[in-house]
Amino acid sequence: MKNDVTKIVLAGEGGQGIQTIAKILSLALVKADYFVSYIPQFGPEQRGTPSVSFIQFSKSQITYPKFDTADIVMVLRRRAIKTIESYIGSKTDVLFDSSTIARQNFTLNNSRLFAIPATKLAEEEFGAKNQNILALAALAKNFLDYPKNALWEIIAEQLGKKFAKNKSLAGKAKEAFDFAYDFSLESKKFTKAEYDTSDSLIVKKNSQRVAVIVPKYCKGCGICILKCPVNALSFGKTLGVYGTPVPEIDIDKCINCGNCYRFCPDCAIRVVKK
Amino acid sequence: MKTPNEQFAMPQCLNSKSKPSLFCPGCGESIILKHLGNVVDSENIQSKTTLVIDIGCTLLSWNYFNFDIIQSHHGRSVPVSVGYKMARGSRVVIALMGDGGAYAIGLQSLLHAAFRNDPILAIVINNTEYSMTGGQMAPTTVPNEVTTTSPLGKNASIFGPAFHGPELVRQIANSKAFIARASVGNPTLMDSIITKAIENQQKNNSFSMVEILSICPTNWKTDAAESFEFLAKLEKIYPVGEVKKTLDKKSEDI
Repeated sequence: MKNDVTKIVLAGEGGQGIQTIAKILSLALVKADYFVSYIPQFGPEQRGTPSVSFIQFSKSQITYPKFDTADIVMVLRRRAIKTIESYIGSKTDVLFDSSTIARQNFTLNNSRLFAIPATKLAEEEFGAKNQNILALAALAKNFLDYPKNALWEIIAEQLGKKFAKNKSLAGKAKEAFDFAYDFSLESKKFTKAEYDTSDSLIVKKNSQRVAVIVPKYCKGCGICILKCPVNALSFGKTLGVYGTPVPEIDIDKCINCGNCYRFCPDCAIRVVKK
Repeated sequence: MKTPNEQFAMPQCLNSKSKPSLFCPGCGESIILKHLGNVVDSENIQSKTTLVIDIGCTLLSWNYFNFDIIQSHHGRSVPVSVGYKMARGSRVVIALMGDGGAYAIGLQSLLHAAFRNDPILAIVINNTEYSMTGGQMAPTTVPNEVTTTSPLGKNASIFGPAFHGPELVRQIANSKAFIARASVGNPTLMDSIITKAIENQQKNNSFSMVEILSICPTNWKTDAAESFEFLAKLEKIYPVGEVKKTLDKKSEDI
């Protein structure tokens, strides 16, 4: 632990579990006899802005909960970088999710970058819900050197209700936790950001019609899939702006009824006749 | 055909720089705003439209369009629109509010605007609760509906039945006023009702009000299918279509 007061910023997309892990981390630090201050960034974070939390801990009392430069920044989604970029100084350690953020998204050169491909690991191995556990374990091990079993106890206590409902979730979470705790962070070669939001349009054509889907606008509500009368739409693999899957269209099944365009809240899909 | 770009699925008058919008995934209000944009495009009135927005989720539309938008206080989008219309009569003025702004705190403004036949269009988005603050019970909450402040379901004997706003306003509104209810479950009908209401303002110089039943997946805690299922239930309680005067002769004499 570097300074007298260590300052941490955690950032990601609303609904990703940023505040959950921030709370767990704060409780863990309290258990280790630190004074801890934790404030979530309140505001419309459920409504399309990044979710951020600010944590400080120290052996002496903390007088003020706000700060200008963080010692550790963890960021899990590209959109959140803009919000927290000003907290990154020359001595800040940055931990990011290399499967959703490319190295070149960070404009600051002098910061020390470390990565764990949390989303990729979660999607492919441990279940999508566990990506915040992966990130938390990596953060606690590599930057705070927090003991493994003590941290897991607090996670199990905090998420106990969820685990009781779904037994397999608890097993997967534990696996993810163990894996990430022993994961050696990427610091030079980063995983390709294949789970990043796609900036390009999806255009599908056949002889009669053209379908356009804009992943940048799609929030993954699934209304178009529900309203399609011929089941030409289904969730695909591309990710939209909130990291949710974007619909795929079967252009030959499509009858160009216009329902998807009519019902899409975010102007993300349209099919027109050629 | 033009090469498709990001604005391909977007009405012309929408501000593409503010997208993706601030609304939650699956929000009914953004469906409504998109269709309002479609109507403004098809009526070709973008250069003379002014939208007045209220507190609540409607304020998240402050940069949604490429025309003038005024932000007013809670429940005060109707009087602000009335004043604006008085000063600039050639504009098409649309007051947008939620059911809290229209029927709880702003009811007197709405009633008197209808009573005086002020030439504005009031669009009320009804999703049966206060959404921005986390889904509390509102006047429009239907009996037995679970919200955060009515966890056992709304008790109609204490809090009253569902609040029928357009029917209430119809009773005292001028006979030239156009008052109707639409639903995001039927966007085509919604388009034609909004078009009619805007024409009523322009041609008859009269008050119009459109209540639009909407969905709120975030606070209803529903997925797409369940949201539209609940909306179908609401359409049975709040009938869609133009609202006609229902007073019997006796009370009209009074």
